[in-house]
Amino acid sequence: MSLLPYATAAWLLGIGLYGIVTSRNYIHLIGCLAVCQSATYVLLLGIGYRRDAIAPIFYDHPPGTPAVDPVMQALVLTDIVVGATLTALLLVLALQVFKRRGTLDPQKLKPMHPPSNAGTRDAGPREAGFAGEARPEPQP
Amino acid sequence: MPNWLVLATEALPAAALPAAALPPLPVALPLLVCALLLIGSRALPIWLPDLVAVLTALAVAALCATIAGRASAEGPLVTWFGGWTPRDGAALGIGFSADAASAGIATFAALLFTATLVFAWNFFDRTHGHFQILMLLFLAAMVGFCFTRDLFNLFVWFEVMSVTAFALTAYRLDDAAIAGAMTFTVTNSLAGILMLAGIGLLYARAGALDFADLAAAVARAGHDPVTAAAFCLVAAGLMIKAAVVPFQFWLADAHAVASSPVSVIFSGAMVAMGLFGLAKLVWVVFGGSAQIRDAVGVFMIAGGAVTALFGGWMALIQRHLKRLLAFSTISHAGIMLVGIGALSQGATAGLLLYVVGHGLVKGALFMVAGILLALRSSVDEIALRGRGRGLAGAGAALGLAGLLLGGLPVGLLDLGARALHGALEAGGHRLALAASLLGTAMTGAAVLRAGARIFLGWGGRPGNEGRAPTLEEQERGNRAYWVMFVPCGALLVLDLAAPTGALVAAAPGWTRSFTGRAALPGDAGALALGAAWMPAASVGLALFLAAFALFGDRVAPAAAAHIRRLHAGPAALLNASHSGLVGDDVVWIVLGLAVLALALAVV
Repeated sequence: MSLLPYATAAWLLGIGLYGIVTSRNYIHLIGCLAVCQSATYVLLLGIGYRRDAIAPIFYDHPPGTPAVDPVMQALVLTDIVVGATLTALLLVLALQVFKRRGTLDPQKLKPMHPPSNAGTRDAGPREAGFAGEARPEPQP
Repeated sequence: MPNWLVLATEALPAAALPAAALPPLPVALPLLVCALLLIGSRALPIWLPDLVAVLTALAVAALCATIAGRASAEGPLVTWFGGWTPRDGAALGIGFSADAASAGIATFAALLFTATLVFAWNFFDRTHGHFQILMLLFLAAMVGFCFTRDLFNLFVWFEVMSVTAFALTAYRLDDAAIAGAMTFTVTNSLAGILMLAGIGLLYARAGALDFADLAAAVARAGHDPVTAAAFCLVAAGLMIKAAVVPFQFWLADAHAVASSPVSVIFSGAMVAMGLFGLAKLVWVVFGGSAQIRDAVGVFMIAGGAVTALFGGWMALIQRHLKRLLAFSTISHAGIMLVGIGALSQGATAGLLLYVVGHGLVKGALFMVAGILLALRSSVDEIALRGRGRGLAGAGAALGLAGLLLGGLPVGLLDLGARALHGALEAGGHRLALAASLLGTAMTGAAVLRAGARIFLGWGGRPGNEGRAPTLEEQERGNRAYWVMFVPCGALLVLDLAAPTGALVAAAPGWTRSFTGRAALPGDAGALALGAAWMPAASVGLALFLAAFALFGDRVAPAAAAHIRRLHAGPAALLNASHSGLVGDDVVWIVLGLAVLALALAVV
């Protein structure tokens, strides 16, 4: 059994996490999350893989032909559905947040630390920064 | 199981169904109603989705209670979907296995949803029933999560729960809610990814996904790096959901920005589901590996104790009531995690009772926050000072819930806490016991202080909590006060009226069937409760801390000022560490994963 798929999965997870941590744009960050997700695809496919075996579809193969593990293939399919749902939801949220705030930078979109120029937008309730003292948004 | 509950559940028509037909029903029913509501969403009158959702949640509660009743009499009810029963000892199919404790937790979740849906009556102007559909989907996922006996199926329910939770957080579509939802989505998607990777590794070792087959394979594998890595990943995924330090950074923002009915479910049930799933996997799947048991004993006791203290301290330095309650949930999640780590019969029984008791009390507290948001347009403790007058019922509910949270020795939450105390004392976990008492006292103090300030107008000069982050928001105000207050009161009544004697008698049997073990460590036949002075001490300390925060300036000005100065630095640092920045949260998650891996490697 080759170590390559496991090393690839670990590497994908690692660079995906690095991307999420350092990202300054939510669209990029969502892409990095998808990279993390693909680490699981590689891992699961690697676990189910058998050398010289067919895909687990016996339409044009006699039953009994060696095939890769169909359970892992089913898990990957489900995982792809989950990944697509998450990506779609996150992209919708990114779109909505861009409409309201005009930025996609995670550092400018902290939920409980809204910008001090609140009230200039068209929708949404009023928001205050730190009550009691004006604290400027840290500049990167 | 109390007699009146047996009688009540036997009167239901579902009690006549064959045992295998019952477990899928409480999952299928809300899913079916979701689909029907969605088809008719544009044509239905605005009140109909509210009514249908409340009735459906109530029906799910009744079904789950029936299952709990049947399971406590006959043993777990098992269903194999599509007739794929195990053959020659190998389970290819996917099964549900509803034991009494799991069905009890599912009943509690359905009741909490019922109360929340009543509370949220008329909450949104025009939603085409989407809010109710998401809530029912959320409920179906929780019940499926409780009943499943297949690890991948558990993951699927976990993801359904997560995705509906993400959508519900952002539902209000304002700036803060969307920003909070994005952090929540990214961190909890990572939880799913880690969990799935763990499931894959475990499958690589066991070649199966059914809990029973997995348990046998884990026991066979013994001291094995692959099983340990699988546990590390799966446990990290569930602990992100359960908001255990250092995986907890997402929770405060998500709970604070979500609409109050959604926060009720998040704090009352969702966090508890993470812990419930973890407890189930630790006992049912990984219980056969000494390596994992030892690591659980170390990591979860230590992590739980730290979480209990950290959450309590954070709660004390908040001014935004929903954020304060969110940190109190973190503290209580830590106490429940200690209950998992103690790995004994009493601790498991205590954990299950605590999940329900805490959910009821915390749900009521978030409803009070919702009432304030609707009728006073704020949940900022300092801005609201004295403005709660006129809402006597809500004030009384907040005070009572604060006392219960702080350890007032009555009701279900206290029963769970005392069972945990007894088990921790018997297991020799003195430090964890002290941490859980201290955490309880601090969260109780924080709630009582906020309540006294809002409803009585006490405590004119805010302490370090005055510099905590806050947010101005409001929720739809033209709802009837009593519609919001009745479910809140009902949750507290449920906590207080729980038949504690009957539960103490039934708990050992339920834990045995939950853990799948005839004899558990520390199983003395009956539940050993902790000493009566412990809850009394924690509630006393809670009252003292709250009083000191409110009146310290007047009674002992020099001491109060000195303590405030000493405390200002750490408080500011702690609040600043919760930056709400998704990258920071992910760094902490990776760090937590490394610590857990280290615990597994070293122990």
